[in-house]
Amino acid sequence: MRGVGALERVLLVGLQDTVADTLRRRLGGRLALFASTTGADALKFLAAEPFALAVVNHRLDDMLGAELLEQIRLGPIGWHLPLLYCMEKGAGGILPSQLVVRYQLHRLIPHPLDAGDLTCHVAELLGLPLSDLPAGGRPAAEQAVRDVWTRVQSRVMERLNALVAACDALAGGAVDEQLRRNAEREAHKLAGSVGTFGFITASDLARQMENLLQSALPLAPERGYRLLELSGALIRELEHERPEDEPTLPHPDASSPLVLIVDDDRELCDRLAAEAERWNARTVTVFGLADARRAVAQYRPEVVVLDLSFPDDTESGLSLLRELTDAKPPIPTVVLTARTGLIDRVEVARLGGLGFLEKPVAASQVMDVVAQVVQNQRAQRAKVLAVDDDPNILLTLRALLVPLGMEVFTLADPLRFWETIDDIQPDLLILDVEMPHISGPELCRVVRNDPRWRSLPVLFLTARTGPDTVHRVFASGGDDFVNKPIVGPELVTRLLNRLERTQLMRKMAETDSLTGLANRRQLNRIMQRFLKLAERQGQPLSFALIDLDLFKDVNDRYGHLVGDVVLRRLGELLVQTFRGEDVVARWGGEEFALGMFGMAREDGVHRLAEVLEALRDEPFLAQDGQRFHVSFSAGVAQFPMDGTDLSELTRAADQALYQAKAAGRDRVAPAGWTCQTPTAAAIILVTPDAELEAQVVKGMATRSTAVVTCRETGEAVGLLDPSVRMLFIDAEVPGPPEAVDALVEKAQAMGVSLVALAGAAAVPEVVRALKAAEADMLARPLSLRALMQRTRRTASPNPVH
Amino acid sequence: MEDPYRILVIDDDDDIREVAQVTLEVMGGWEVLTARSGQEGLQLARSAKPDGILLDVMMPDMDGPTTLEHLRADPATADIPVIFLTAKVQAMDRKRLQDLPVAGLIAKPFDPLALSDQIASVLLRA
Repeated sequence: MRGVGALERVLLVGLQDTVADTLRRRLGGRLALFASTTGADALKFLAAEPFALAVVNHRLDDMLGAELLEQIRLGPIGWHLPLLYCMEKGAGGILPSQLVVRYQLHRLIPHPLDAGDLTCHVAELLGLPLSDLPAGGRPAAEQAVRDVWTRVQSRVMERLNALVAACDALAGGAVDEQLRRNAEREAHKLAGSVGTFGFITASDLARQMENLLQSALPLAPERGYRLLELSGALIRELEHERPEDEPTLPHPDASSPLVLIVDDDRELCDRLAAEAERWNARTVTVFGLADARRAVAQYRPEVVVLDLSFPDDTESGLSLLRELTDAKPPIPTVVLTARTGLIDRVEVARLGGLGFLEKPVAASQVMDVVAQVVQNQRAQRAKVLAVDDDPNILLTLRALLVPLGMEVFTLADPLRFWETIDDIQPDLLILDVEMPHISGPELCRVVRNDPRWRSLPVLFLTARTGPDTVHRVFASGGDDFVNKPIVGPELVTRLLNRLERTQLMRKMAETDSLTGLANRRQLNRIMQRFLKLAERQGQPLSFALIDLDLFKDVNDRYGHLVGDVVLRRLGELLVQTFRGEDVVARWGGEEFALGMFGMAREDGVHRLAEVLEALRDEPFLAQDGQRFHVSFSAGVAQFPMDGTDLSELTRAADQALYQAKAAGRDRVAPAGWTCQTPTAAAIILVTPDAELEAQVVKGMATRSTAVVTCRETGEAVGLLDPSVRMLFIDAEVPGPPEAVDALVEKAQAMGVSLVALAGAAAVPEVVRALKAAEADMLARPLSLRALMQRTRRTASPNPVH
Repeated sequence: MEDPYRILVIDDDDDIREVAQVTLEVMGGWEVLTARSGQEGLQLARSAKPDGILLDVMMPDMDGPTTLEHLRADPATADIPVIFLTAKVQAMDRKRLQDLPVAGLIAKPFDPLALSDQIASVLLRA
């Protein structure tokens, strides 16, 4: 390991001397540069001393650069050395991107080589500061992006105007499916493009419009109204001259945690990165401890996964762990070790390592632990809302508090206070005493009058310290005050004192001790916020109640300890499946509750059905070693159609849950569904395959959706009636091709969506007919999940009402 | 003189194409080709043989997955790594897209200044 301030050894192979000069000039005295013109010399250099980096040119005096790469990677130097490769196209018959993959290159440098560019890459890789950025780097690119925005701005506004006109028409009750589709597309595109130019709020507004534009026509009046509101807000946002630099609310992607993986086991790294993506987490992977330190400084990861089974280097791994847990704020670290490793678990725990997983370990297990850590971490992270009309103060606060691991939200306009406090739900409020329109103490008095905010700590900032001011601050209900100009340590100490007390109390009061999920009280609080947001933003919001089937039997037969394992596991499955913006709570006993913001009832039914399918597959172990399985029943209700407040939604979800139980348990039912009145089948499946039929029927039953099955096309023709929305046709279905044509023709005439299931034994004529009809093709063996997704997109949104 | 790294951006959105082109040229030092539809992209991929393709998922007429299918079916383009460019999608759609033979996904909106790095890191992982 290199000490701080040591020179970084860099080897240049086959590059001109001017390149070395530029590197030396730009990176000051921080590099020890070595140069060779042949691959043979390069290998000697690398064997003699450790290097931080090697830059290899495609053409060398004695071999091709690619050959040198091969010898480095497969020889004793191995995979740890970061490599840059200066490429030349066409030579060697291998694509540059394949070189990247095959030899784990850190960067490809385009040909012809630009020494300035190379310098930037080297500086970035080694974490060195650049004194002056050369042209062609970041500032030039920033300017170029701004130029593009200037060019396209008028075009974007034109497109926006067209979108607004379409929204006007739709909000006015127009029933024009083509217009709706175009508008939905346009909103989708706007969300992508304006966000790319830095208009985060505008992108978010466009995304909300896109969601609303997916509703059935004619638009419900409240949706139409909401659409107009959103388009107005979007126009206002985009009429700003420049993209906003610092949005008040965090970027939507801020919710996906950044995980740093430190491991020299490349295969595991790859699997972890893939698994992380499934969990909507971002990852950075490094293979060595020195890289790990740089990555920590550069990315500030939310969690680190650290493999301590580095050969010969356990001690330095432990010292990195110590640094991470001593950092301010500490960076939670999940530790992996080899089973045969000599590391003491106690030592790791003492150093603050969280989780301790023995390899071999499944990537999903690691991410399981990471997800838990993130969840705990986020629950602990304090949210501070600061209101001040002076942007410099807001910047100072941010600079002081963000490094302490707090989420800081700033607001310059006190008139937007109420919507902001509801959105953010801060743990502490900082108010400026003197502000235009409304003063800090006035605002504080109003806050104290709202029962929800009665105990919120409020800290004042004031430039005056006369007795009058002090009196005003305390009389209005403020807890403390800090003088301007802000003195960092004083502010931080006072603020931490206030936070520590309230957070501890809240955490104890709001978490279920067995599962670590929210308890009912916290669920109530979060649902109240969701309800407000849903109403204001015109977003769907669903609420579900989940009850383990025959749980009393589990407790009676296997004991309470095993019962607790089942409860905890279901809690984990729910947390894994639902996104950060959802709330998962233990409702009491064997019941769980779930608030899903931005999700319609039918989507909620599908997501929960997937949890149920996962739970069914999960074997539980009784104390005598016997295996058993469990299932649950659930009911899902949606705001506002099934209820406009939490108690109405609860009642609706509970009734659906009751119906699910009455229908034989082990299923998820939407509000309004009953097991007595058989629903008209929205879906027909034609297949000769009994196994497939059983699979689909079970999947549909889990979702409380009726499906009619038949074995041949002729029979299916007779079943088509106006209630049918979808027709699944197994392309292995026997019978004359004319029969398929007839069925397809009739289905198309009735507007039924066609989905073809095509496997190896598919009948070619049938496949042709279905392709000609532009049926959606699904390959066999069938993924039930893919099939269910099709039904979600097309099936009736509302089985019975 | 030999050509620099060559990437093809296929997106029907003029703004996205333009910003991607500028930023990849300036930050990545790459040669950037653009196409406004799947069809145009297929032609260009065959004739210009790019080293990588950034492909929008949602396009009219021929969408990303269909374009990908054609790319993979043609031996001339079958081996070119493809990265999907896609609006922020739900976990399940993501999963579906990732199961296709692509090197990775990049979400829209993206940070234009980080785009070349993002592409490079996806290719590193692929």
